[in-house]
Amino acid sequence: MSAINVHGLSKRFGDVLAVDGLGFEVDEGTVVGFLGPNGAGKTTTLRMLLGLVSPTAGTATFGGRAYRELPAPARTVGAVLEASGFHPGRSARNHLRVLATAAGLPHDRVDEVLGQVGLADAAGRRVGGFSLGMRQRLGLAAALLGDPAVLLLDEPANGLDPEGIHWLRGLIRRQADEGRTVLVSSHVLAEVAQTVDQVVIIARGRLVAQSTLADLTAGAATAVRVRTPQAEALRDRLAAGGAAVRLDGPDGLVVTGVTTEQVGRTAAAAGVVLHEMRFERSNLEEVFLELTNHGGDR
Amino acid sequence: MTRLVRAELLKLRTTRAAAGVLALTVAVTALIMTAVVLLAGRPGQPAVDSALLTDLVVVAKGPLVVLALILGVLAMSGEFRHGTATPTFLVTPWRGRVVAAKIVALALAGVALAAASAVVALGIGLPWLRSEGVEVAVGADAGARLLGLAATSALHAVLGVGLAALVRNQLVAVAAGLLWMRVEDLLPAVLNRPGLGRWLPEGAAAALTGPSAATLPMWAGGLLFAAYGLALTLLGTRLVVRRDLT
Repeated sequence: MSAINVHGLSKRFGDVLAVDGLGFEVDEGTVVGFLGPNGAGKTTTLRMLLGLVSPTAGTATFGGRAYRELPAPARTVGAVLEASGFHPGRSARNHLRVLATAAGLPHDRVDEVLGQVGLADAAGRRVGGFSLGMRQRLGLAAALLGDPAVLLLDEPANGLDPEGIHWLRGLIRRQADEGRTVLVSSHVLAEVAQTVDQVVIIARGRLVAQSTLADLTAGAATAVRVRTPQAEALRDRLAAGGAAVRLDGPDGLVVTGVTTEQVGRTAAAAGVVLHEMRFERSNLEEVFLELTNHGGDR
Repeated sequence: MTRLVRAELLKLRTTRAAAGVLALTVAVTALIMTAVVLLAGRPGQPAVDSALLTDLVVVAKGPLVVLALILGVLAMSGEFRHGTATPTFLVTPWRGRVVAAKIVALALAGVALAAASAVVALGIGLPWLRSEGVEVAVGADAGARLLGLAATSALHAVLGVGLAALVRNQLVAVAAGLLWMRVEDLLPAVLNRPGLGRWLPEGAAAALTGPSAATLPMWAGGLLFAAYGLALTLLGTRLVVRRDLT
């Protein structure tokens, strides 16, 4: 059963096609990283899911129901969108009391969630004096208010210090362990790599990849780096053997599509001196960059 | 719907804006009242007699309606200015209901402002005049004026909500409201249509606090002004409901 369904979703702002025929699903009880470079359309997609922005085409639903059609939205979906949605003159507790009142939630929940995000001591202070990290925590508290089964978090790590990011990871993990579905966006894969089961990667408003992290690294490109004073000679011999080779500096080669053994044998046969040879597998971040740089190309 | 109105009232109570507007209303009323009593009976000023009381109730209605309008604008435009519209519409994605709740809450706030103004006006005026030996009795008109004052204050606050829903920007909305009041003063003369004034929004509203031969009857003025307010808020609500919140 999928908790979130996005189908053929597009949004045009004037001349800009921010989201372009995007489609993906998020299964119930999974933690999914929603990744893409800045401006890829992540926030717009989340806002369309939440009924704040209306799609130009397509649908974005929670188990088939648009956000607006949910009987109790705040008890079903919690969202953290940006750090600025607070009146600076209102205290953290009052901000949450207003939301709890509108949602028909008991006011006991306010102090519960304030404690959950570590803001109990700052509850009576005006939000205007809050740091970015505290605002981010207050946003999370608001999202948790209705004890929702689905959480949408838009760049929740923004403004958090390393300790805060560690805390956030724990919080997300706990939510997942309790069976909740979490869709967490980020422009840095490493930020969510430890937390998520799956990733949805988008670029230029289009889906680039949806897979588990393991599949993503399995598909990572490999290369053999060689340093030799006879770079051009070796390049020609390797290329003749069918490998993809490019020069890297005056005495370097990057060879793909071959093993180190093959490169060594070719070098020996050609009488080429090798100063250095090493095998490289691109890491997750490079895979991500590769996908988002070339993905979504028209 | 009740809980949405309660949430809107809680919003008003938990920032300093509403308290500030209330304090200003009280201060301005006290100031005007003091001036009126000090000047009463002087050449060119109203005589100190029992008829004065009817006027005393509505003595600060000029600044009062401006302050009520500003409170309405602040309540609505603040949602966009501070980005609280996002959490508000996340909790209640039915935006029309949110605006409706805001209208009810601001109407109540408007009534509260009018009540505060009237209490201060009478609280200062009555004992002072009596201490000077002026016999002022509460006439039947005073009660009607009081209701009219509450209505005009409430409707101006609602009008502020509608204005801010239309233009979103706080300063622009307040400026537009004040500018319109000036324009409306001049319009009948400019167009050479002296009878036009009573049909315009502020002219219609004037019937609520000071019905005279130049205005519509109190009930008709009130209804017409309410219709203007309704039209503006409906237009504004349509925009708020449709607009993308990015």
